[in-house]
Amino acid sequence: MAVSVTVDRQASLHTPDQTALLTSVPWPVLGVVGAATCFTVGMYWDISWHQSIGRDSFWTPAHMVIYMCGILAGISCGYMILRTTFLPVASDRAASVRVWGFHAPLGAFIAAWGGIVMLSSAGFDNWWHAAYGLDAKLNSPPHWSLVLGVTGVQLGGIVLLAGTMNRSSEAARKKLAFLFLYLGATIILLHLILANHRILEHSAICYAAVCGAVPGVMIAMAVASGRRWACTAIAAMYTIFAMANVWILPLFPATPKLGPVYQHVTHLIPLDFPLLIIVPAFLWDCVRAKLRDTNRWALATILGAVFLAGFIAVQWPFADFLLSPWSRNWFFGTGYIPYFTQPTSHTAMNEFYQAAASRTQFWLVMAAALGLAILTTRIGLACGGWLRKVRR
Amino acid sequence: MLAAFPVGAHVGSPDVYYEGNAGPYHLFVTVKVPPVVPGVAQVEIRSQFNDVTQVGILALGLTGAGAKYPPSPETTERSKQDPQFFTGNLWLMEFGSLQVRVQVDGAKGKAELSVPVPAISQRTMRMPRGLGGVLLSLALLLAFGAVAIATAGAREAELVPGAKPAETDRHRARVVLAVAGICALGVLYGGKRWWDSEEVVANANVYQVPQVAGTLESGGRMLLSLLPTKQRTSELPRGWVPSDYLADLILDHNHLMHLFLIRVPQMDHFLHLHPDRTDGGQFVVQLPNLPAGRYQIFADVVHQTGFPTTMVGEAELPDISSRPVSGDDSEWAGAALLANANSGTKSLLPDGGQMIWERSAAPLKAGTLIDFRFRVEDAEGKPVQNLEPYMGMAAHAEFVRSDLSVFAHVHPAGSAPMAALELAQAGLPAYDEQTQSMASDMAMPPASLSPEVSFPYGFPKAGDYRLFVQVKRAGRVETGVFDAHVE
Repeated sequence: MAVSVTVDRQASLHTPDQTALLTSVPWPVLGVVGAATCFTVGMYWDISWHQSIGRDSFWTPAHMVIYMCGILAGISCGYMILRTTFLPVASDRAASVRVWGFHAPLGAFIAAWGGIVMLSSAGFDNWWHAAYGLDAKLNSPPHWSLVLGVTGVQLGGIVLLAGTMNRSSEAARKKLAFLFLYLGATIILLHLILANHRILEHSAICYAAVCGAVPGVMIAMAVASGRRWACTAIAAMYTIFAMANVWILPLFPATPKLGPVYQHVTHLIPLDFPLLIIVPAFLWDCVRAKLRDTNRWALATILGAVFLAGFIAVQWPFADFLLSPWSRNWFFGTGYIPYFTQPTSHTAMNEFYQAAASRTQFWLVMAAALGLAILTTRIGLACGGWLRKVRR
Repeated sequence: MLAAFPVGAHVGSPDVYYEGNAGPYHLFVTVKVPPVVPGVAQVEIRSQFNDVTQVGILALGLTGAGAKYPPSPETTERSKQDPQFFTGNLWLMEFGSLQVRVQVDGAKGKAELSVPVPAISQRTMRMPRGLGGVLLSLALLLAFGAVAIATAGAREAELVPGAKPAETDRHRARVVLAVAGICALGVLYGGKRWWDSEEVVANANVYQVPQVAGTLESGGRMLLSLLPTKQRTSELPRGWVPSDYLADLILDHNHLMHLFLIRVPQMDHFLHLHPDRTDGGQFVVQLPNLPAGRYQIFADVVHQTGFPTTMVGEAELPDISSRPVSGDDSEWAGAALLANANSGTKSLLPDGGQMIWERSAAPLKAGTLIDFRFRVEDAEGKPVQNLEPYMGMAAHAEFVRSDLSVFAHVHPAGSAPMAALELAQAGLPAYDEQTQSMASDMAMPPASLSPEVSFPYGFPKAGDYRLFVQVKRAGRVETGVFDAHVE
């Protein structure tokens, strides 16, 4: 089945009554976008806090910004659900779905669900640390419950924006398209926290981790928004945000409060310099325009291969640079090392960590990365196509 | 049986008690270690006089790179009722050999001291039924919610505003309902499996008391061999000191190992011996004369990192006719542990003298710091003036619970081994290698020893205990024995 990747924007507007088009961005939509922003800023800040100062009180500013995500999402979606259910305006009720007797746009339900998952994970997480003590471990069931909740808020925002965008006038749609792509960037920003470690960038696992989500998110947002340079725009937003993290956080003084301390820390330690996904994103935007009538699986195969090849081509040599003395400056920030990093660790020694036990395993994981890139791209194409059709 | 009481230094007695000087301030420090690591330790500091105004606490490695950069101190809270008492919480972030540094400010200026703390996971925790019920209900509600939202989305999300779902929309919704239901079940099931596997890893990190086998060889020699432990796992966090690694031991008041043999269950025969290490990494000791019976083994060692380990075991021994104890070795034989343990404050010594436990009439409480004080008197009932250092210390004390689930080897400076204390003090900025003044304060008693010795310690739990208190007088080690009931 053929698909138009570069979408004719008017073709996506199937609203029968053009007078019903939205002409401005509803405030609850902005509230959900604000919630996603709070979580993204809060997470980068909080991780920096943990690797500079250590585990601190509940009331750190970074924690407050993260909790603001739940508050904003709760207020925005709660308002939409209650108002559409109990004080309905005809046009709002007409553009809603029904869940357990409540009415609201689908995205509001998803975001509210994500908020409740976030809150539930807090109690679970607290018990988890008391029971097992494994705080340093990001990869634990309660932490992934939190991730699931935040993903719900982000996806809810995207579906909410897609529905609103598809019912909007051209002027409002332009603003919404920007917010829509921005939400895609926040998903990538959170996903790449786990994948972005410079010592892993000569290991296939790094590329598999990136291909496990980034291609799918980018293509879905690009297809749904119909923007010519959507992928480049998303990658640019990711890059600017992650670079700002490297440049701004070290301006604030900080010293560790927990021991043992292995590195002398005098300021907030940021996360790593952004991955160069802007290059494969730009290649995608160039290629997509020429492949608008290609079969979806063939398109996913081509785009997946282009993404992985383009990414490896720039990130692999760039990783060499990041481990060299030339990158240990304020711009690239590779001289910033968390307080708990042992002096003999790969990070402190500026050495690559080889995750694969053998060359065969390396190529198997790299093949898996290609498979993931193709699969997530195909799923992203399907999701993007569905988002173009969402009206409620 | 002892492996069921997972603790670090000592057995069943994980908290650290310390008495010593931070410069001009005399302090009693208690570090109540968290049951899991990372976790929050509770630190209590009591100053002897009302001359301390502020106390800060911080954690760092005892040795190596982690001991180099002290973090900023956590403040402690001064008790309103008791201005000489300060309490604070401190995160211990790593397994292994750590130290808690106490920074004091007061009328005589600033000073600090360090207390070695072995950080280990002692247990994992089962989820309380109430919380489990709430979380399970929430998980099910959210799973049903997710399915309901997905179904509603499939049915109505693509409809133009105001339109009613057609049969095709309803059919699609039913398909999504089934798929989403299966996915939700899959997520719940996968999450539970993941949780179980994480619990296996956490349980593997719980410290197990290392076990030793005591084998009697010809001529009354006992060979001590470490038995394989169950806690080896590839998931062990960094900084962990393998319990079965005996090649990196350091001297703890002149000996690599302090071996205690106690005839059980009556505890009527007690030996404090000092085995030598063989070329094969085992330990061997010449047993003195002793009566037949079943003996409990407690073997104390200290690793280079300052991490203390007490190994345990059992040995069934025949009557041994060998030689009397000599050198630093010592023994005691006497009455069996009393059924009603709260029995007395006087213990007769072999030379006709006696040891008096200067305890108050108040019942002994578990979990609180107690300043155990003992006075040594001669046959005429006068305080003795000729106590000598016993292995560099004014006295040694062993606290043993009747069921052997608690064993603690304590000194006047507290429950941390002297070798670890010396490492901790050596890391202090004010430490002077020439005079070693700080370490000397703790390790070396004054030339003229007081007839009164004291030990800061707290019983970890209620029950009946036997206390063995050892001093040296006129070249001979004297052991006073007391029984105590703890509430």
